[in-house]
Amino acid sequence: MPLRPARVGRVGVIGAPVAKTAVVAAAVTPGRGAPVAKTAVVAAAVTPGVGRRRI
Amino acid sequence: MTEVSLDELGPVDYVVVEFPAAASNFTGEMAAELRALVDAGTIRVIDVLILTKGADGSVEALELSDVDELGDLQAIEAELAELLAADDVEHLAAAMDPGSTAGVIVYENVWAAPFASAARRSGGQLIANGRIPIQAIIASIEADQATATVGD
Repeated sequence: MPLRPARVGRVGVIGAPVAKTAVVAAAVTPGRGAPVAKTAVVAAAVTPGVGRRRI
Repeated sequence: MTEVSLDELGPVDYVVVEFPAAASNFTGEMAAELRALVDAGTIRVIDVLILTKGADGSVEALELSDVDELGDLQAIEAELAELLAADDVEHLAAAMDPGSTAGVIVYENVWAAPFASAARRSGGQLIANGRIPIQAIIASIEADQATATVGD
């Protein structure tokens, strides 16, 4: 399906080819290489009052 | 599309959500959640495209209006601007694996607009922003734990 004419010949807003990011689901989903315990640890790390400041 | 003053515009982001070949499970749940974010005034969807990357690397783009059953996306489609250009399609598709399909959503963070406006009025300038990957948080926590273990 061709793009609408309005999209052709215009200056784009995404400056350069986009690199694929690491798949987030793999880090937080139980299963191969991603223990479910990690989700709790990450949640704790971003919860107010449980922070770890290292300066 | 509703006109928005540039001074009141919130930060504009995009996401590319890839569905590997034979791994997608469209139930309408994503559309409903997107609609809920719009209805709550959290975001305003500016543009949507559905990209398909062939095994040979060729890319096809589908406009949301070309989708037969829009369901919860019907109201969103009526308000879209065509911000993304043909060049953008190529740039975004560079992240996709051959054989996959991806939804591209460009959206304004409406929730951040009042704060951004206030910052501008106060003379502030946004000089950096970004996202911290969950993997980086995990790596940081694990490094801390390893350091603590060594110190025991």
